[in-house]
Amino acid sequence: MKTRQLVVALGICVLSTVALGGQTSRPWPPQKLSDGQPDVQGIWAATMAGSTSLTNPISGGEDFDQRVSGAEIKRPSRIIDPADGLLPYQPWAAARQKQEQKDYEHPTRPEHIDTQHRCLLSGIPRLYTIVPAYKIVQTPGQVMFIWDEYHAYRVIPLDGRPHVAANVKLWMGDARGHWEGNTLVVDTTNVRGARLTYIGDFYSENAHITERMTFVDANTMTYEATVTDSTVFTRPWTMRITHKRRPDDEVWENACWEGNVNPDVWLDANAK
Amino acid sequence: MRTSLLILVTLSLAHAAVGNAQTIPRTPDGKPDLSGIWQVMNTASWDLQDHAAQKGVPGGPGVVDGNDIPYKPEALAQKKKNYEQRATLDPETKCYLPGVPRITYMPFPFQIVQKPNELTILYEYVHTVRYIFANGTPHPKGPIEWWLGDSRGRWEADTLVVDVIHFNDQTWFDRAGNFHSDALHVVERYTLLDPDHINYAVTIEDAKVFTRPWNMNMILYRHKEKNFQLYEYECYGFDFEKLYPYPDLGAAR
Repeated sequence: MKTRQLVVALGICVLSTVALGGQTSRPWPPQKLSDGQPDVQGIWAATMAGSTSLTNPISGGEDFDQRVSGAEIKRPSRIIDPADGLLPYQPWAAARQKQEQKDYEHPTRPEHIDTQHRCLLSGIPRLYTIVPAYKIVQTPGQVMFIWDEYHAYRVIPLDGRPHVAANVKLWMGDARGHWEGNTLVVDTTNVRGARLTYIGDFYSENAHITERMTFVDANTMTYEATVTDSTVFTRPWTMRITHKRRPDDEVWENACWEGNVNPDVWLDANAK
Repeated sequence: MRTSLLILVTLSLAHAAVGNAQTIPRTPDGKPDLSGIWQVMNTASWDLQDHAAQKGVPGGPGVVDGNDIPYKPEALAQKKKNYEQRATLDPETKCYLPGVPRITYMPFPFQIVQKPNELTILYEYVHTVRYIFANGTPHPKGPIEWWLGDSRGRWEADTLVVDVIHFNDQTWFDRAGNFHSDALHVVERYTLLDPDHINYAVTIEDAKVFTRPWNMNMILYRHKEKNFQLYEYECYGFDFEKLYPYPDLGAAR
């Protein structure tokens, strides 16, 4: 791994430590908003976060530690279905993921650079696995998720409107939601295909994502996403990650923009 | 003192818009409700001032009160240089966040999300997010250099007044090379004229670049199309769109 990537990983590790401060006390069960939605607004972030891997989701800091020490660190898989905790790739896709993992370690071409390092939108469900926090804002008929990083956001209408035309492909996909009690259920289509981790996991533009965000107490949300993509996988799979409420501080500008770093800095110098 | 008087005069000019208090939508706390998806219908993104069309550039009347931008002599020379080299120098081509007020009149829709103590504006262009804190708190102590500055809002009668400082000097006002320094101070005034139109008046103050404050004035139009929604405009500083998720997979091949 290149020095710059290590620095990024370390920086994220430090950030996550600082940000795990106190939580705001909120009523539970949640108050109802004027349109009947449970009020879950505020700032939230994933616990045990990091985009390294879904099947062995070590943090950026742990990734650094194991590269320095050579001792592998294991974490429970985020994949809860299938039961073996692995992504059910078709054979060609499994080979593709392994190749992409190698290319990520030794990038020689611009396409080996991860979308996050290019400041491009990470999409769904990856944005729910990153370390930086996000804000939930609710207004009548819609829920908005607004991330600190990448100035990414998604607006989820709750009015049952149809998805946009099938030929429209969006980095964030096209989301439609509804509440089942304290669970926000979101149906996302129209994705461009996306990278899911640094180690090359991916889904195609045919993926359909169903998310269930269950608010289990005032400060805890269980995030589950089921990905159905018959182009890449042999069967649907489901991941889970717990999110916690963070203090309601002002969110200040965090400008990550695609043109900020010349792509050459990411590539292995000896390969140019 | 003379500058202060001038600011007072220009601010009151910018404040001339008055909505119809009876017909505008209001939030439960009685404030005008700016929620919705809005977009300009002008050519300010290409040139703030009156301009005829050129290839690829729609012509149209400008948005600057009186049409003149009061550059200092050396700044005017810089503006002319910017214009000559706009194809390469315009920060828009580098995918920077476009600054305030330029983000407002980019030819893309944006959504205002209004809460009593905070307004959030979600812009389609480069998925820009902007928070306007309206809980009476002051600007954080600088110096801070942000692309969009620090926005603090307050209500003056039925007008949302947003004071914005803490900018960097890396953004322009338009594609014609109009520019500012990091001393930029922007005051925006959002006034609902009726349910579907906002008068958007802006005062620009930057003593390093301009001899006096000056104003822009334009209308924001509500999108009323059925099921209208923001899409997204990702900006590519390099020619990489086709490379994601992987070159031979995905929508952009």
